[in-house]
Amino acid sequence: MLGRKARKSVFDPNHPLTSGEDVYLARRTDLIAWGRKYSMWPFNFGLSCCYVEMATAITSRFDIARFGSEIIRGSPREADVMVVAGTVFRKMAPLVLHMYEQMMMPRWVLCMGSCAGSGGMYDIYSVVQGVDSFLPVDVYVQGCPPSPDAFMRGLVLLGEAVSTEQRPLSWVVGPQGIVRRVKPSLRDEMRPERQKATDLKSPDGI
Amino acid sequence: MIAAQGIIGGLVERFGAGTVVLQSTVDGVPTAWVPAAQVRDALKWLKSIEGGSHAMLLDLTAIDERSRTHREGQPPADFTVVYHLVSLDKNSDFRVKVALLGEYPSLRTIRDIWPNADWYEREVWDMFGIVFDGHPHLKRILLPPWWEGHPLRKEYPARATEMGPYKMTSEDAQKMLATLEFSPEEWGLKREDGDRQFMFLNMGPQHPATHGVVRLTVQLDGEEIMEVIPEIGFHHRGAEKMGERQTWHTYIPYTDRIDYLGGLLNNFPYVLAVEKLAGITVPERAQVIRIMMAELFRVISHLVFLGTFTGDIGMMSPVFYMFNDREKGFDIVEAVTGGRMHPAWFRIGGVAADLPQGWDTLVRDFIKRMRKNIRDYVNAVAKNRIVKARTIGIGTISAREAIEWGGTGPFLRGSGVDWDLRKKRPYGGYDKFEFDVPVGVHGDSYDRMLVHFEEMRQSLRIMEQCLNNMPAGDYKSDHPLATPPRKERTMHDIETLITHFLGVSWGPVIPPGEAIHVAEGSKGNHAYYLVSDGGTMSYRTRIRTPSFAHTQIVPLLSRGLTIADLVAILGSIDYVLADIDR
Repeated sequence: MLGRKARKSVFDPNHPLTSGEDVYLARRTDLIAWGRKYSMWPFNFGLSCCYVEMATAITSRFDIARFGSEIIRGSPREADVMVVAGTVFRKMAPLVLHMYEQMMMPRWVLCMGSCAGSGGMYDIYSVVQGVDSFLPVDVYVQGCPPSPDAFMRGLVLLGEAVSTEQRPLSWVVGPQGIVRRVKPSLRDEMRPERQKATDLKSPDGI
Repeated sequence: MIAAQGIIGGLVERFGAGTVVLQSTVDGVPTAWVPAAQVRDALKWLKSIEGGSHAMLLDLTAIDERSRTHREGQPPADFTVVYHLVSLDKNSDFRVKVALLGEYPSLRTIRDIWPNADWYEREVWDMFGIVFDGHPHLKRILLPPWWEGHPLRKEYPARATEMGPYKMTSEDAQKMLATLEFSPEEWGLKREDGDRQFMFLNMGPQHPATHGVVRLTVQLDGEEIMEVIPEIGFHHRGAEKMGERQTWHTYIPYTDRIDYLGGLLNNFPYVLAVEKLAGITVPERAQVIRIMMAELFRVISHLVFLGTFTGDIGMMSPVFYMFNDREKGFDIVEAVTGGRMHPAWFRIGGVAADLPQGWDTLVRDFIKRMRKNIRDYVNAVAKNRIVKARTIGIGTISAREAIEWGGTGPFLRGSGVDWDLRKKRPYGGYDKFEFDVPVGVHGDSYDRMLVHFEEMRQSLRIMEQCLNNMPAGDYKSDHPLATPPRKERTMHDIETLITHFLGVSWGPVIPPGEAIHVAEGSKGNHAYYLVSDGGTMSYRTRIRTPSFAHTQIVPLLSRGLTIADLVAILGSIDYVLADIDR
């Protein structure tokens, strides 16, 4: 076991113990969390427009394989992350919950687009105003629809959250319960950076 | 129009001058009110004189008239059922209206006259509560079986936030799912026949081959499909009700999301219908910009169709190439409009902004790139032996049947019918462009695919003409109802400033009237039928979509084939879920 220092960077090539050697040392929980981070398999599940942009993220220009998520699973039982891509309709909502419950633990939910997040522009009788009314959401990606870049950013954020998650190794060994970091508000985090922008591009040019 | 006068004369002669009431509408479509008792006879007669099998029931819908104020010259009615007929031979339209009185009125079905009336009548029942006597399966189509009320009635609340917070536990979900259980008896299907036992296979609403949330229940005898029962409505977003609460201007973004692969192609029929109501003529530059962007979106939409269709039948690589080209198309869309899939960029009276500097280079490069790539795709896909084996002779429909069932667009042209509204009824400036209308021969999945390939080439041809002949001038009309109004003149006098302020804050007040505009979308004929009661919002917005009509034909196309063929058929139809359920 390495000390606290190594936990920050599990695979530090400059570490005295590992440099120049094909030997890596890590805590088992960290190693598993690291593995999870780079193999988030999404469920092949789409509701509406957002799904087209989610599918676009798989194709060559965006290439979601760079983040280990190109393996789209057709069955909820084989998937790690459910991307709620699109409007959650009242007729569809029981099916969404049913499919979520069929997913194996550990499982995560990425809420893609304004409709899934809050109903978006569809405050109308047939639309559920936010999927978080019946599912636990881990990451919200805004947009109508979000661009493939925004979706991938959401996936990377989810990966970061997953890599710091502490889960019990089994139901008999070690401490029980899942330790998750508090969901940050990116709007607040990025505000100082965004406020630095003084020149905005004119729409007259390309 | 002379032909239309003849039809009206004939109707009056047959059913008596006192019973048939004529109505003049802004769109010039001859409209006749027929008593409920005689509507079946009138429609039968109209179908027979309109060239028999060449008469299409384009749309069947209803209007809740109970709170409408401007009904001058129309018979008293609580509800109106509207039949929109199109004669392909004469290239003319005809509208029949039936006035109904009472809270939950009823009318005889016309399912035996036009088979595609089946789903339309179910939709009217679901949305308005109008009963169609003699309809064998009059049950909910867009809303789930556990729903109460009929949303397009004026007393029904529109907003989800008026309905209280949404709560659902696992038990609730299972209860609701149990009501979706398929019962063959309900559809008149047998579970067995002698010693043969049939299997019922459920496909969807979550299935990779259905391209979205639609459910098909397939009755199988061994591997052979005996019957397919599509169930739709999982994607119902209440777009028509939304039209009754958004201003004429702020409804434009909702049109983008109807055929969500078609982007600006959806804005086209809507703004043209509003412009008809308001009497706006659009400057030439705006017309050409609109056509160029619409054709770009046709190419983008067809690329997704071809990529996913070939993916469905097992060819994995084309989708990657085609989505790359689609991204090149989106580079132009993003440079011009700032958006990608849903730019909402057309405006009442023009477009949102002028083209940016350097747009021509982007368009020129795109046309050059696409011409070469389409050649490659035809070689790689259309000439591929396996693709041919999977699609030739699969999902065949004759021209007569396609018209009977309300097929339009590439679907109808695949069956050899030369019907393209850009050519037949040039709208928005299409008469100034040279292009051909490709048609298929056999009406099978393969021909439908070839039509899509050739249409992309023709769209590029139109884009090239736009590029080389882009006129100078305004991108928006000077008409006072053009929205948002022109800003530069507002500082000269107070009257213009007030008009501008009202136009921006409340939106334009469109004169009372009714107008439809039918346009050639990427998947077929899109129509917006708008009723204005002289307000800042539409009184009734009816969206006629091609995918709704085409999905209804799936059972006809797939009987006697196998599940693998069904996947090829679904891919070849080129439907989009939001375009089915709205």
